[in-house]
Amino acid sequence: MALISTNALTKRYGSSVVALDALTLDVEAGIIGLVGANGAGKSTLLKILLGLLKPTSGSATVMEMDVATQGPEIRQYVGYLPEHDCLPPDVSATDFVSHMGRMAGLPAAAARERTAEVLRHVGLYEERYRAIGGYSTGMKQRVKLAQAIVHDPKLLLLDEPTNGLDPAGRDEMLDLVKRTGTEFGIATVVASHLLGEIERVCTFLLAIDNGKLLQSAPIASFVERTGTLGVEVEEGADALAERLVAAGLTARADGRTVLVDCPDERPYDIVRDVIDDLGLALTRLEQRRHRLEDLFRAEGRTDDAA
Amino acid sequence: MTQRDAAVTPRESATGAIYDLGYQSYDGPRLGRRAAFSTLFWASLRAVFGLGRSGRSKIVPWGLTAIMLAPAAVAGAIAAIAPGAPSPFSYDNYLWELQPILALFLAAQAPELVSSDQRNRVLSLYFSHALARSDYALAKLGAMAAALLIVGLAPMLVLLLATVLASPDLLGALGDQAGNVVEIIGSPLIYALALAALGMAIASFTPRRAYATGAIIALFLVTAAVGGILTEAGRGRISQVAPLINPFVLLDGTRDWLVGGTIARSPVTRADVPLPVFGILAAVITLVAAAAVLWRYRRIAA
Repeated sequence: MALISTNALTKRYGSSVVALDALTLDVEAGIIGLVGANGAGKSTLLKILLGLLKPTSGSATVMEMDVATQGPEIRQYVGYLPEHDCLPPDVSATDFVSHMGRMAGLPAAAARERTAEVLRHVGLYEERYRAIGGYSTGMKQRVKLAQAIVHDPKLLLLDEPTNGLDPAGRDEMLDLVKRTGTEFGIATVVASHLLGEIERVCTFLLAIDNGKLLQSAPIASFVERTGTLGVEVEEGADALAERLVAAGLTARADGRTVLVDCPDERPYDIVRDVIDDLGLALTRLEQRRHRLEDLFRAEGRTDDAA
Repeated sequence: MTQRDAAVTPRESATGAIYDLGYQSYDGPRLGRRAAFSTLFWASLRAVFGLGRSGRSKIVPWGLTAIMLAPAAVAGAIAAIAPGAPSPFSYDNYLWELQPILALFLAAQAPELVSSDQRNRVLSLYFSHALARSDYALAKLGAMAAALLIVGLAPMLVLLLATVLASPDLLGALGDQAGNVVEIIGSPLIYALALAALGMAIASFTPRRAYATGAIIALFLVTAAVGGILTEAGRGRISQVAPLINPFVLLDGTRDWLVGGTIARSPVTRADVPLPVFGILAAVITLVAAAAVLWRYRRIAA
C-alpha cells in the first residue's frame, strides 16, 4: 500500500511563487526524510497532505485516501507537528494534549489515559500539570510531539521537529522520533533542512528542491554505496596522486587526502605499494561513504554548468 | 521490542512491581468529526466563563454575570418586602436596560474564544484534526451564543422566581407565569444569537485581543451615538429610521415583534417603521456576521 502518493502536485502562491512544481512521488511506510533547503516546498507538501492547503493542481493520496475529498478521514489517522509554535501558554500540557486527543476523535476517558501515556513517552513528568507558557523550548517541542501521537496515528508528519533545540535537545528529539517510528511502527515523515538529522533517523529519503523531486530512494542506497577510497597522508599527497594516476587509477589530491576511485579490490594493493615506495607517512585509509550533501552539491554543479 | 520485554518482566521495588508499559497502540473507537465538534463547543463554553482556567480569567465573566443578575435580585427582594410596589424591571425591558453589560460581556469574552488560537497558532492543530474549518467557526459561534443565552436567561429566571415566591399562592403564580415562557426564553435567545454573531465577526478578524475588545465596544458606542443624534437632530424620514442604526434598537424591535411588550423608553417607539422591519434587519445582520466568521475561517492561513 502506498503511504503517500502524489501526481503532478503543484502549488503556487500568487502568480509568481511556485512552492511545488508538478511533484510526483510514491512512498511506502517507514521513516521518511523529507529534505530540502528552506523554501524548497517541504512545509507546503505536508500541509497539502493534511488538507490544510489546497493544491493549485494535481492530486495526492494519503493511505489511499484522496486529500481533496477525504480530508477529515485522513486527519483522524494523521499526527502533525508544525514547524512553528502552536501551543497556548495558559493551559497545562495534560489539558492541552488530552483536548487535542478528543479533537482527533478519542472518547474522553481514552484521551485522558493516552495523554498520560504519551507525555511519559516524550519525557514530561511533574511539569505536565503546569501551564505551557513556562516551558523551555525543548519541553514545548515534546508537547508538540505528544499532541501529534496522542491519537495513535498511522502516519506522523513532523515539520522540523528539532527547530530551536540545543544539540542535546536535538539528540533527544531525534531519538524520540526514531523510537516512535521504529518501535511503534508509526509511519513518519520528517521534514528537515539538516541532512545530518535525516541520515540519523530515516530509512528513506525524499529530497526536494524548488518544489521538484530531486531524489527518492532508501537512505542506505546512497549512504552506503561507496566508490571512493580516502587516503590521508602527512605530506606528499600531490606526488601520491600523480603516481596513482600513472599506475592507471583515477585519483585526485584534496588537501592532505587523496581520493581514489575504487570500483574493485585492486586499488588497495597499488595504494599500499605506492605509499611504501614513496616512503610517505600514512595517517588514515578509509572507505568514503557517500554523504547526503553530495546529492545537493552534485545538483549545484550541474546548475553552474548550465 | 525492548519495550515489550520490559512489559512482561516487572521490576521489583519496595513499593511493588513497576510495569513499564511504554507506548501502547490504540484500537478503541474514533468518534470523528461530530464528537470533535461537540467537544470544542463545550470546551469553548467553559472557556467563556474561565472554567478550568486560572482564577484571573474568571473575574470578568463572573463579575459581569453577577452585575447582570443584581438588579433582578434587588427587584425581587423589594417585591418580597413591599408587595405591590411597581418594579422597574419586566421580562420585556430587562435586557434593554442592561444592554451595556451584555455588550461588555461580549467585548471581553468573544476575543477570549478566538484570538488566542490565532495568536498562538493553535489553529493549525485544530485544522489538522478531524474538524473541518466550518466546524471550528460554528462551534465557537455556538459557544458564544450559548454563553450569552445563559447570561441573559439567568436574570429572567431570577425575576420569575421572585414573582412566584412573592405571591401567596405559589402554584397559581407559577401557572400565571407559564404564559410568559416565550418572553422569558425568547428575548435572551434573540439577543444571544445576534450579539454572538456580531462579536465573533469582529473578534475572529484579529489575533490581538485588545483590538477586538476595543472594536466591539466601539461598534456599540458609535452606533448608539450616531443613531441617537440622528434621531434627535435629523429631519423627517432620517430621524424616523435613524434608530435602526443601533443594533440594540434592532434587537428590541425584533423582540417587540416576536414576543411582544413595547418599552416606552426604547427608540423603537420613535422609529416610524413597522416592527417586522426590525426583525428582518436583525436577521440579515446576524446572518451576514455569521457568514463573515465562516468566511474568515475558510480563508485564514493555518
